[in-house]
Amino acid sequence: MDNSGRRTFLGICLAGLGALTAAAVGWPLFRYLAPRTNKESAGKVVIPEAEVKAGEAKFFEYAGSSAVLLRKQDGSLIAFSAICTHLGCIVQWEKDKQDFLCPCHGGHYNSDGAVTAGPPPKPLPRIPFSVAGGNITVG
Amino acid sequence: MRVLNKIVDWIDQRIGAREILKKELTGYLLPRNINAWYSLGSILLFAFALQVLSGILLLIYYVPDADKAFKSVSYIMNEVPYGWLIRMCHAVGSNMMVLALLLHMLSVLFMGSYKRPRELNWLTGFILFSMIQGISLTGYLLPWSQLSFWATTVATNSANAIPVVGPYLVEFLRGGVLVGPPTLGRFFALHVAVIPAGIAALIGAHLFLLKRTGVSTPPFGKKNTESQLQSDVYHHEDHPGGIPFFPDFALEDLRGIAIYMACFLAVLFFDPYLFFPKDAFIPANAFVTPAHIKPEWYFLANYQTLKIFPNELIGLSLQGAAMTFLALLPFVDRGRERHPLKRPLFMACSVGGLLLWIGLSIWGHFS
Repeated sequence: MDNSGRRTFLGICLAGLGALTAAAVGWPLFRYLAPRTNKESAGKVVIPEAEVKAGEAKFFEYAGSSAVLLRKQDGSLIAFSAICTHLGCIVQWEKDKQDFLCPCHGGHYNSDGAVTAGPPPKPLPRIPFSVAGGNITVG
Repeated sequence: MRVLNKIVDWIDQRIGAREILKKELTGYLLPRNINAWYSLGSILLFAFALQVLSGILLLIYYVPDADKAFKSVSYIMNEVPYGWLIRMCHAVGSNMMVLALLLHMLSVLFMGSYKRPRELNWLTGFILFSMIQGISLTGYLLPWSQLSFWATTVATNSANAIPVVGPYLVEFLRGGVLVGPPTLGRFFALHVAVIPAGIAALIGAHLFLLKRTGVSTPPFGKKNTESQLQSDVYHHEDHPGGIPFFPDFALEDLRGIAIYMACFLAVLFFDPYLFFPKDAFIPANAFVTPAHIKPEWYFLANYQTLKIFPNELIGLSLQGAAMTFLALLPFVDRGRERHPLKRPLFMACSVGGLLLWIGLSIWGHFS
């Protein structure tokens, strides 16, 4: 094997070894820093029906994020993600206007979660729930 | 490669990068008889960088609160993916770094590299050694285990022996009469901010001094390359005809780092709890003193010295005197001879001192 061939071969070996080392260091580092899925908050959330009165909203933590349960004036229930679809701020319930306001950039959503004003591109995502035995189970 | 060359050309046209690289790497000549012991400085730089990196990563999950510290360390060890690896890297790394530092100091001692004109290199190195001891001591408390708590109690208590100000000094160090949550806050700040900043600054000063005086020529081996000029004016020790730092000695450094990493990983994967007594796994309890609480291995000689002397002040003074003597060694030992075998008094004292230190450490371990 001539000198340049040997040099190339050693270069390739060294690059391979470097790549292996980088992977051996990089993977644990990535796993260490990667966000952890919280199993506890990923489960169902149970809220007593009496806690949500007509025309009022209840905010709670759901699947590691913020969610809101709303009882409309007609008594029907609806659950949404409380995260504004514009830039991720948490929306507020305006009881007097019966709509959601995102205070960051003035986005408005009606009680069905549809955008009524401001920059949000999409409605608030809905979250499934069920009602049984006086309890509302979200998720 | 062509793109890389173009980038280098672009930078070179603006700041003359190639000229710097030539001067500091390929044109930086080292003594022809340089040996592997000279790699210990690079190994220490690498080890310190590893400690900084693993320390920053630990900061993500560690909580410096007396109620949460132990839980957060347990969480890192048991719940966070590869948390055990990062934590053990930091814990094992600190011990390995102290070992490398001791070897670095021994090589400088035996090759007489601390002698004129390198007194300042030795002094900055010695302060670095003391700061590494300080950062190890403060880091020992952070897991808030029984070992942390009581080792810190004993270590801080030794300041009590200082006349007049001793008791106040102990209280000042602890932030209270006993070791408690205020101590954790203080030690945390010292461990992650104050001492690392001091170490980084001193490493800078140490390297600056090395650059200004030039690398010392080993007193043995192949033919000397040192220019022998000795005078009272500043003189940089050049090595005409020596070996270039890059690639020759850089590869030697890499080999040294690889050997260090092999030892480090061997401990990390085959005996990770080598430096962990069982009290390190029990949360701190201020009402239960464990039996036979011992400091880290490199403090065992100090610990045993304090045990030998019934009067703590004598024990502490002796240690202070020994440390001061070692720090000022270049000003005491002023002879020009650097070959260890041609310095019988030095050899007798240093080997005797080393054996005494090892003996006291073993005694401390088994006492």
